[in-house]
Amino acid sequence: MAPGNDEDLALSRRAAAGDSAAFAMLVEKHERPLRAFLMRMGTAEPDDVAQEAFLKAWRFAGQYDGRARYSTWLTRIAWRCRIDAARRRSSAVQDLEQAGTGTCRAEVADMLARLGEGERAALVLCEGHGWTHQEAAELLAMPLGTLKSTVARAKDKCRAMWSGDSA
Amino acid sequence: MSDGFDSFLHGALQPEARDPDRRFVARVQARIAVEAHLRAQRRGTLRQLAVQLVGIAGVAAGVVWLGRAESVDRFFGESPAWALCAMLSLFALMLVLFTSQKVEQSPAKSYK
Repeated sequence: MAPGNDEDLALSRRAAAGDSAAFAMLVEKHERPLRAFLMRMGTAEPDDVAQEAFLKAWRFAGQYDGRARYSTWLTRIAWRCRIDAARRRSSAVQDLEQAGTGTCRAEVADMLARLGEGERAALVLCEGHGWTHQEAAELLAMPLGTLKSTVARAKDKCRAMWSGDSA
Repeated sequence: MSDGFDSFLHGALQPEARDPDRRFVARVQARIAVEAHLRAQRRGTLRQLAVQLVGIAGVAAGVVWLGRAESVDRFFGESPAWALCAMLSLFALMLVLFTSQKVEQSPAKSYK
């Protein structure tokens, strides 16, 4: 089992048994990072995608076995929801201006907008959300080595942009 | 290279620090409630359909069984208009019986 995951596993089991209050606690705990990630990714209507992901997490609560962190499992669901939503819209990424809303500084939004989708996701998850390289590699369906080099490349690009801006 | 970039990037990419968004949580719960309600309704409708099919089959079997009785067969053979009237009356009765049944609207099972 993933370390420090006992509480989420217990809540998920209660949710699988139909306890909506337990599931509400999971939503409260995980909506912030999930929505932040979807927003950083420039997802069209990130809140709708997040809601869809939570709805699926509720439907399939019984399938969560605690081997991965709950946030990892949930983000995996949201990632697929995002792809489905993008397919429905026939455009993978909405106007990337959206990535700069909220508290995300304009320069960061600009940096992220210049990265590829895989680079952006890998960078946000590993540098911002504390995911391990292994977790991010599984989500993005990349070999671990490729993921590591993707993160490094994304960081280098951002560093170059940052140096250019601050110079 | 310790030029402050790493801490800048880490800080900028972290999810914003804030309290849980209760409105978002409520919206998710509302969607779950709607889904559970629809599922319960669907289950109720299917159960009702099954009951109706069994009822129709029972009535049809009864009619066939009655029709095989010699006296009934002879009566209907001699007066087909009465046979038609009886069939139509039976059909109307069944229609009234089935359409007057209330659709079961049980609350969602998963919301105790």
